Amino acid sequence: MASMVVVQHKQPSSTILSSSLSDFNGARLTASVQYKRKVWQLKGALRVTASSSKKILIMGGTRFIGLFLSRLLVKEGHQVTLFTRGKAPIAQQLPGEPDSEFSDFASKILHLKGDRKDFDFVKSSLSAEGFDVVYDINGREADEVEPILDALPNLEQYIYCSSAGVYLKSDYLPHFETDAVDPKSRHKGKLETESLLASRDVNWTSIRPVYIYGPLNYNPVEEWFFHRLKAGRPIPIPNSGMQVTQLGHVKDLATAFIKVLGNEKASKEVFNISGEKYVTFDGLAKACAKAGGFPEPEIIHYNPKEFDFGKKKPFPFRDQHFFASVEKAKSVLGLKPEFDLVEGLTDSYNLDFGRGTFRKEADFSTDDIILGKSLVLQS
Amino acid sequence: MKKPPFNRFSAKIRGLQEIVSGGGKTVWGEPADIGKVLEGATFDVVLDNNGKDLDTVRPVADWAKSSGVKQFLFISSAGIYKPTDEPPHVEGDTVKADAGHVGVEKYISETFGNWASFRPQYMIGSGNNKDCEEWFFDRIVRGRPVLIPGSGMQLTNIAHVRDLSSMLTLAVEKPEAASGNIFNCVSDRAVTLDGMAKLCAQAAGLPVEIVHYNPKAVGIDAKKAFPFRNMHFYAEPRAAKEILGWTGTTNLTVDLKERFDEYVKIGRDKKEIKFETDDKILAALKVPVAV
Repeated sequence: MASMVVVQHKQPSSTILSSSLSDFNGARLTASVQYKRKVWQLKGALRVTASSSKKILIMGGTRFIGLFLSRLLVKEGHQVTLFTRGKAPIAQQLPGEPDSEFSDFASKILHLKGDRKDFDFVKSSLSAEGFDVVYDINGREADEVEPILDALPNLEQYIYCSSAGVYLKSDYLPHFETDAVDPKSRHKGKLETESLLASRDVNWTSIRPVYIYGPLNYNPVEEWFFHRLKAGRPIPIPNSGMQVTQLGHVKDLATAFIKVLGNEKASKEVFNISGEKYVTFDGLAKACAKAGGFPEPEIIHYNPKEFDFGKKKPFPFRDQHFFASVEKAKSVLGLKPEFDLVEGLTDSYNLDFGRGTFRKEADFSTDDIILGKSLVLQS
Repeated sequence: MKKPPFNRFSAKIRGLQEIVSGGGKTVWGEPADIGKVLEGATFDVVLDNNGKDLDTVRPVADWAKSSGVKQFLFISSAGIYKPTDEPPHVEGDTVKADAGHVGVEKYISETFGNWASFRPQYMIGSGNNKDCEEWFFDRIVRGRPVLIPGSGMQLTNIAHVRDLSSMLTLAVEKPEAASGNIFNCVSDRAVTLDGMAKLCAQAAGLPVEIVHYNPKAVGIDAKKAFPFRNMHFYAEPRAAKEILGWTGTTNLTVDLKERFDEYVKIGRDKKEIKFETDDKILAALKVPVAV
């Protein structure tokens, strides 16, 4: 049985906002938060507190989305605990994050160490602690959620990171939240989780992102393009390159997760969260080039059926149109993404790949298979 | 006007009289002479669904202004948007500065206190002046392949005309809200060209064979061979939803069935059609066609 380690801290007093958010946080994030502070000051409040400071559990939170989300929650004055196996440090300084901000975060973030697949432990540790809100960022299967719900009968809200991958493939797009879902998809665990939440007497909210990007992305989305651009290599894109996809910046996603917290309008609702504009594969290659200050890339189209790549993926996106409408989040929650595509990719480049960091080493083996054949055809 | 669909509006054709029987009046004349033709008549709202450039619309706009019209609405075109790598076309996106409709939009925005512009794409519905779904039906019912340039993945927006009319009606009903705005006058979904072909076939209850071709390689001007743009041409009706509270109702799966029923009812499935351009393309591709 894993041992439970919860470090007790004083409840954070009045703070919500730091007056100067670094470029790491993105200047735009300050806008709505500063407005809140102004309002309270006008009302003559002596202590500026969050609307109600909550005890929040994040399942996961040390890899990508959670890094940004946990910081926002701590800044808003909530008590935030990360449930992780402890393989990654609970607090890692993010690129561009000032020391003072990081140490403030590190001093406040709490850790509940355990394996979420150990359902008995999950149930006992959570019920011992008691939490007001759960953010489930790394849940994949419905059975992982049951012990959490069982442990917290008075849970105010269960906020789930689902996926737009649950939608049934369609010629008729964009995907709206009401569209048919695919019970056979690779993401059926997410669907089953959503169904479970809906069937239980719990206040749930489900967020369906499309492709997420931003600094520290562990999925080689922008990184895949940046490797090739840096190496001065052509970018091999399957078929026409006209396939339309959609990227959403991780900071906008974190903001969305904050927006639904304690929000009645989000109760028992599903929201697609991603960028306001979609992009073609060819367009994405060009946008990545712009973001990194590279010259316009050479794009090579190929027919994937003509090649055998073995187990390797020659391209990081689904070879189809795949995009979702984010209108519901906009009209119901008033949520508007801050980053447009080139701005967001630039943010990612400046804070991550452009500093020499990336998650996966460049692997051009599938490119060479494609290019080898293309060269042969041209000669 | 004797030609369909114009002859459906007021002349007694099989008792249609669409506009007249709806309580409207029809007056025929040249837009340039509008002041004379409508002498003495006053209106609250004028909608110009005719002009594509300032030369044609200016007389109408000027007359409307001088006769005290309160709201001027213009049917522009989503075709004025500059092509983009980041669809969809959204109100406010860059337009082609030299487009005729753009000149009109600018003029009416300077002339009227209360104006709005609507940018449609393709539409389906009874009395359409331009072939849309019919182009697909013509080939599907005759067992001919549907020839689509490029990959067939091009996204387009095909709206039932009732979506357009409901949006325009809302603008008339909510003049304050509509004032000073541009609205993409389209349905709220995109469909691929391949998808449209398949939906038409489904509506007809018949199989479809889609053949893709490269217009340049075949020596064909795609504009003449195919009624849709050979590129992503996809606008979304975001302003109408946000500002007017408009909702779209187009559902091609259902709407195309009704369109196919009419297609058959008017006997177009039996009409003799020469598919010269299609045959030229097929010959270049060396695809056999059952005669």
